[in-house]
Amino acid sequence: MSNTEQKYGRHIVQYPADVSMCAGCGTCEAVCGLIHDGVTSPSIKRIFLVRDTTMTEDMHKIYSCQHCVDHPCYNACRRKDSAMCLDEETGIVYVNQENCIGCRQCWKACPFEPKRIAFNLDKPRKALKCDLCRTRPEGPACVEYCQVSCIGLSDQPMPGKEEKNE
Amino acid sequence: MNKIYGYVGKIARINLTDSTVTEVSTFNYVPKYIGGRGVCNKIFWDEVGPGVKAFDPENKLIFMTGPTTSTGIPTGGRSTMCSISPNNLPEQYCWSGIGGWFGTMVKFAGYDGFIIEGKAPEPTYIFIDDGKITFHSAKELWGMLVHQTQKKLEEILGKDVNSIVIGPAGENLVRNASITTSNDSVAAKAGFGAVFGSKNLKAISVRGTGKVQAGNVEKILKLHKTMGKPIGKTNPIQYKDSFAPRPHINFPVPGGVKEGRVACSYGCNQHCNLILLDVKAGIGGNEKGRTNVVNKCVGIYAYQMIEDSGWTPQMSFNTPQNDYAGCRFISGDGFTPDLSDPAINEGFLDRQLGDIVNYWDGDYDRGNVINDLCTQYGIDRWDVIIWYMSWLAMAKKEGVLDDIDFGLGMEIDPSSEEFMKRFLEMIVYRKGYYGNIFAEGMARAIRTLGMEKYGKTIYTGRVSQRTGNQQIIPISLESAWGHCCHWAGRGFQGSNDITCWLPIAIELMTSTRDAQTNTHHHDSFDYYLEVRNDPCHNPRVASSTIFNEHCAELKESLMSCEFQLPQIFDKDIESEMFEAATGIKMTHEEIYLAAERIKNLFRAILIRNNGRTRDMEVNEVYPILTYPDADGRTVSWEDFNHLVDMYYEQRGWDKKTGWPTRETYERLGLEEVADELEAIGKLPEK
Ligand code: SF4
Ligand code: SF4
Repeated sequence: MSNTEQKYGRHIVQYPADVSMCAGCGTCEAVCGLIHDGVTSPSIKRIFLVRDTTMTEDMHKIYSCQHCVDHPCYNACRRKDSAMCLDEETGIVYVNQENCIGCRQCWKACPFEPKRIAFNLDKPRKALKCDLCRTRPEGPACVEYCQVSCIGLSDQPMPGKEEKNE
Repeated sequence: MNKIYGYVGKIARINLTDSTVTEVSTFNYVPKYIGGRGVCNKIFWDEVGPGVKAFDPENKLIFMTGPTTSTGIPTGGRSTMCSISPNNLPEQYCWSGIGGWFGTMVKFAGYDGFIIEGKAPEPTYIFIDDGKITFHSAKELWGMLVHQTQKKLEEILGKDVNSIVIGPAGENLVRNASITTSNDSVAAKAGFGAVFGSKNLKAISVRGTGKVQAGNVEKILKLHKTMGKPIGKTNPIQYKDSFAPRPHINFPVPGGVKEGRVACSYGCNQHCNLILLDVKAGIGGNEKGRTNVVNKCVGIYAYQMIEDSGWTPQMSFNTPQNDYAGCRFISGDGFTPDLSDPAINEGFLDRQLGDIVNYWDGDYDRGNVINDLCTQYGIDRWDVIIWYMSWLAMAKKEGVLDDIDFGLGMEIDPSSEEFMKRFLEMIVYRKGYYGNIFAEGMARAIRTLGMEKYGKTIYTGRVSQRTGNQQIIPISLESAWGHCCHWAGRGFQGSNDITCWLPIAIELMTSTRDAQTNTHHHDSFDYYLEVRNDPCHNPRVASSTIFNEHCAELKESLMSCEFQLPQIFDKDIESEMFEAATGIKMTHEEIYLAAERIKNLFRAILIRNNGRTRDMEVNEVYPILTYPDADGRTVSWEDFNHLVDMYYEQRGWDKKTGWPTRETYERLGLEEVADELEAIGKLPEK
């Protein structure tokens, strides 16, 4: 088992550009909002497309929750198990928005830059984070709807390749 | 009526003269006019009367999204602008579509669109910040290239801001100046960049963080599965040692080529834009003088133009078994044909070779430099590559330029990167006598220089590969309304056949500009088989034209794109998109009726504001049809007019004047338009 697998659970990964280059369309963000909240908004998403037009091959970068095994966001939540919850079976940390008070402790605890937790437009703002579409039988919507299959799940093989991408 | 989803409900009226902003309800115009171009037409009809010129402060520039914009519906991320076009000859009411993330953000910022009025007293940019609109001095930005301007605005306003900007061409009122988004998508052909310039408007930036609620999420998700074919095909970046700007053209590139595909706008499922990474910049670029170039369509011709694009009926016509969106050769997506299709035995896939034109041979750096210069200066690539460059090539070969000295310190040579650099600089900065002439656009330039010699001289270097004959074509390549040939059967990018270019000629006739950015003609393959022998006498050509015109209206009212619609064997697609966005059910017939309303309102504007008549438009579009196409075919005056008669009849337009009848306006719910036209004597006599 690699280091990455020990540190992070199953999560969304972006493939290298020679497997498939992100087209920058934002569909992943849009379907994520549509499926969870029935709307689209730059403020309502759990996957983050950062567009860049520099000359590197990976111009458009995709970030979402890495599902850290030690889940610092869950640990930091003041309303743990009521707002930020842990699905014991899958290890997925998810937000129960009804009980979120928008205190941002989870956001502060997220070790990544950019942060993998966002806040919606409600008052108070509620935390949003990737839950791997845990209640969706088809699995992650962003992966399903990406037109160029440039994102996938960390424990699945990359298109056309044997190895997994972590 | 149930709640209307998809729209955010407000259109901002932004007055540059006195820096004021007011709001208009979108629901004054929708659902009757759908959105986008439909709403622009209605606002323009209501607010801008005859006599206004493109650069007058009284000219308005109306920017609209559609109901699909920002909802995540594939290709709905695009937007439309309408105004009087300085790049039309004569200046007329016109439209221009644009991709990018800007329109989507405008909607997230709480506006379905905005109306730009007046003229700012000094260089200005507008900032739309989540429902708050402010005016700012653009003195610091004036003179900057497009990428510099984009970068500077990000520095000032933040990285989460999206902008549309003009470059020096727009500032200097170059008639074919473009407006550019952060991902180099442009509104170019109408020359609205110069309208920005005339209003002292350098840029509009937006930050939008709000939400858009669509009417039917399930339908949106379904559209993602059905509209893009095939979903989920990977898009690997490709490393090559040669470049193939078009499928049958390939030349080696020392240093190699790095290419990929990117989307032009939010929710796009077509990713038709070809991005060339790390290429030689025309101007600016990074410290090594390198940049990226995004090619949509026309840009690919700058790399090589010895042989015109060929055509296969499949590019324009579809069968149930092989039903693909057209013009896929840029994206390289192509398709894998179903070879069991009986249409293949009837020539469905037969490649018809393009004419040999011998303009310039393969040069990767030159192509990138020219494309980059067009982007950075903010000037229409189509006019530069297809028109200035090919005119230079043909005029030079015919000796027409022998006694001209542009004062550029080198020999005239459009195949030379350095020459084109100097030539474009001369135009964009209006340097000297010739700079000013060409900054007026080619149509005006050849008239100033002298039409007989500089426009009508015949180019002797065009040879048809289909007939083996030399084919005559005037060096002007002019088609109509101050625009040049496009998908016109002859000239440049034009080796389609008469079944395709003839309806396109009618589409151009009723337009005010080259209409091929949204009306590449499509129909089912049986249309092709039925009409090919005698198209001018087959009413199906007229009905096919009308169908395509309505599809074009819907593309830019609903918001979609040329690579997505029409879907020939899914006629409900537009209704599905509309319902997914708004929650309102419309039948195919109802939504096409709305398209017809939008088209007739456009017509009414042209009749009232620009004096449009049958004589004017037939005479405008006919001359180029007298030159042979790639098969050697032309169309006679009588035959063409016969087709026009059939077309007008089917449209409910008077055959003598070309004006819609009162019955037509009334059938479309445009009684008040008929009343106004009647009052000024512009309804046909009964
Ligand atoms: S897996 Fe589901 S929740 Fe996570 S980013 Fe993708 S769509 Fe959003
Ligand atoms: S859907 Fe795919 S191609 Fe589009 S932005 Fe997301 S990851 Fe990139």
